[in-house]
Amino acid sequence: MKQLRTRFRLLTMIVIGLIFMAGLYGVYSVSMYGTRWSSSSRNTRYQSARQSVIAGDIIDRNGVVLATTDAEGERVYQANIKARRATVHLVGDRDGNVANGVDSFQAKYLLGFETSISERVAALLKGETRHGDNVTLTVDSTLCTQIVNAFETGTNTKGKSGAAVVMNYKTGEVLALVSLPVFDPSEITQADRENALHPFWNRALQSTLAPGSTFKIITAASALENLSGITNHVFTCTGATKVLDQYIHDYNMAQHGNLKLEKAFTVSCNNAFAQCALMLGDSALRKTAEDFGFNDNFLFRDVVVENSVYPTTGRNAVELAWSGVGQSQIGATPLHMCMVAAAVANDGVMMEPRLLLTVQSPSGTTRLHFSRKEYRRAVPEDIAATLQSYMQNVVASGTGSAARVSGLTIAGKTGSAEASSNGENVTNAWFVGYIADDSLPYACCVLVENGGSGGSVAAPVAAVIFKYLKDNYSGS
Amino acid sequence: MSAKRRRTLRPPSRRRPDRRLVSAMMLFFFSAFLLIALKGELRWQGFALAVAVPALIYIATLWLPRFFPADKLLLAIANFLCALGVLVLYSTDLEAGTSRGLQQAISYGIGIAAMLFCILLVRYVRRWKLLINIIALGAAGLLVLPLAIGTELNGATNWIRIGGTSLQPSEVVKIALLLVLSYSMSRRQFWPWLIFTGFCLGILMLQKDLGTALIYYITTLFLFFASTGNLPLTGLGIAGGVGAAVLGYHEFSHVKVRVAIWQNPWMYYESTGYQIVQILMAISSGGLFGVGLGLGAPRVIPVYYTDCIFAVICEQFGIIFGILVLVMYAILILRGASIAASARHSFYGLLAMGATTLLGIQTFVIIGGVLKLIPLTGVTMPFVSYGGTSLVSCMGLIGLLQGVASLNQDDVEYDYEISHSLTEEERLPRADRI
Repeated sequence: MKQLRTRFRLLTMIVIGLIFMAGLYGVYSVSMYGTRWSSSSRNTRYQSARQSVIAGDIIDRNGVVLATTDAEGERVYQANIKARRATVHLVGDRDGNVANGVDSFQAKYLLGFETSISERVAALLKGETRHGDNVTLTVDSTLCTQIVNAFETGTNTKGKSGAAVVMNYKTGEVLALVSLPVFDPSEITQADRENALHPFWNRALQSTLAPGSTFKIITAASALENLSGITNHVFTCTGATKVLDQYIHDYNMAQHGNLKLEKAFTVSCNNAFAQCALMLGDSALRKTAEDFGFNDNFLFRDVVVENSVYPTTGRNAVELAWSGVGQSQIGATPLHMCMVAAAVANDGVMMEPRLLLTVQSPSGTTRLHFSRKEYRRAVPEDIAATLQSYMQNVVASGTGSAARVSGLTIAGKTGSAEASSNGENVTNAWFVGYIADDSLPYACCVLVENGGSGGSVAAPVAAVIFKYLKDNYSGS
Repeated sequence: MSAKRRRTLRPPSRRRPDRRLVSAMMLFFFSAFLLIALKGELRWQGFALAVAVPALIYIATLWLPRFFPADKLLLAIANFLCALGVLVLYSTDLEAGTSRGLQQAISYGIGIAAMLFCILLVRYVRRWKLLINIIALGAAGLLVLPLAIGTELNGATNWIRIGGTSLQPSEVVKIALLLVLSYSMSRRQFWPWLIFTGFCLGILMLQKDLGTALIYYITTLFLFFASTGNLPLTGLGIAGGVGAAVLGYHEFSHVKVRVAIWQNPWMYYESTGYQIVQILMAISSGGLFGVGLGLGAPRVIPVYYTDCIFAVICEQFGIIFGILVLVMYAILILRGASIAASARHSFYGLLAMGATTLLGIQTFVIIGGVLKLIPLTGVTMPFVSYGGTSLVSCMGLIGLLQGVASLNQDDVEYDYEISHSLTEEERLPRADRI
């Protein structure tokens, strides 16, 4: 019996351990993912809560009311149709077609789940219907409208799908986040539902696409960090580099001849960066990509964003060479690529993207005030400085000249990424960049799907954004 | 010296479950049922349950232990969980238009009777040999029945219908399994239990009741290890189990589906992942303190009343309460293990340990599944899930534990009497005698 008792004790410990593990896992997953689960558009509970609680307003940073609840308890969006369409992916719609819009993701504030018990009792005693809290966003709805307008009227971007993100690289505040095509949340038409470009899809947060040459920021960072003397290394570009049995070629088969890293970055030479990736090796390049947030589980407080991928399986020299130029199953969302540019601009520190400024109670007092939060250090300060000068060259004398705005120092990187959409090969136009000015600390990312060259299609949209920022935010 | 000895041989406690604890439980359930009964239109069922459930708790925890010694904490927890199941089921009845609460309360009553039966069985049966053979044969026959006259439900054929009620033989056979295992293991016999368990597992596989087969298997393995301490063979058993799981993954298509939806339920929301997504949304919507009894929308979860009832508890009472329910199961396991450890005979020790592990493993399998720690398999949550057979068999297991506990207590009392039958002088060390 004595031996039996020892073994009983062991078995009991195992069973208790299992149950303890289940409990611990439950607490962990609810605290990490609880908000994401409960705010899902598929959760019918919040919809039923909307019957009994008057949902609060969603207000932009300039006081424009983006969504409110009318006297009949119906959710209404702002009267200006252009602004209504431009902010639809941010705010969300009544039927929950857009995933994780503020209207559903911040439902715990908007539906008053955070009100104190005393407030609830007071409302109950007065016999009033409960009001949810109002939330103020970091977003500038006018900028969103301008971006959509630029997309819809530009000759190269008209009718194309795409996305744009503008954020403050010092605070992480997202100023604009749009996804094209847009639709009107007040009147969703059959055409919207049947549109082959899927307007309900929030491309800025949900589309992980090959970032193309914009990824060269990360390849360059990795090279500067891991390969000593790389800045003086001379690459030879003959238009095509043979790796195993495949050729890495340049956009439009350009030949750049002999060039150094700085020049290769400015003209966006694929051959040089493919060679760079081969010199680095897969683990070093992946390490830098992961420093920039690839393969991390993004659990930001305010935005639900798809995780970016740097592939870990099926790696060979061909895949590695393609990775150096942002192809080969590498995937990133426009928001994340905006964060990459923002990290370089912010001397290597990546800020967490934020959408909420404050939460106010219905009576007007500020209940919560959100502060900036550092997400991670992406790259050392000295390498960030080198990258900054490279990116300034791109706009000053390289592929990104279309993003220039007089009176501003713009830095950026273009990308023309090959992707396949519905079995067809398309070229997505990318531009990431920022204003190199401490009083205008803004970064942006523009994606035009099937747009072609990043320098001629995406960069002009960025110029519109930078011009707006210069006109409206200078001196503030 | 003598004072010290007296402390170790204190007169064995005959105290029944702490009156204050039970009173609090009765008050809790009385007011909870009343609350639901008064919600909206008045319902006589609610009033009936508000009286009946506390009465059942009183009978099981305060009245029954007058007749034999019992482990009070174990009894209180098991009854709390049973009553909680009745309460949660009743709270969803109004909207669902069912009367599961009432049915569960009746099962609870039968469960108390089953517990009493098992206590008497363990306490008074002294010649097990013939009885074990009869039980083994009867259990085997019972287990085969669903294959002959059973009905298929949720991909498994493990039900039989007798008259108007349905019965799940694999639940009842659990008690038989424990008796057979502990009897032959305590006698160091190898083949009887191996054949019986092998037969049960084979039948369960045929019925595609993989969750229950898993619980049978792990319980057997645990008891084998406890009785022999044979690590190599236990390791072989674990390896065989893992092998069977891998084989099952490749052979049964519905196991593959279960694993896929466990990895990412949101991808399969429209089809097979619907249930687990609804579970996760229910748990997270409850928050820390829950939405309140009778509120929320638990009915959107498929089979919320059996497999997923833990999610309903978490939604209505909050995640903190859910964790406390887990703590109750943990205390139940600790009490069970302590009963097993104080048994004087290895048969009783193994019986108590078997009942404890079985309850513990089943709790882990279902709650781990609901919390998405492991793939969700369709087993019931002990005491709480809707289902008469499951509740009755769980109470039967508690009966086995209580029976062993009462024998332990008798032994302690016997020791005490022996030591006290000697005179004061005789108990002193020889040198101290005058």
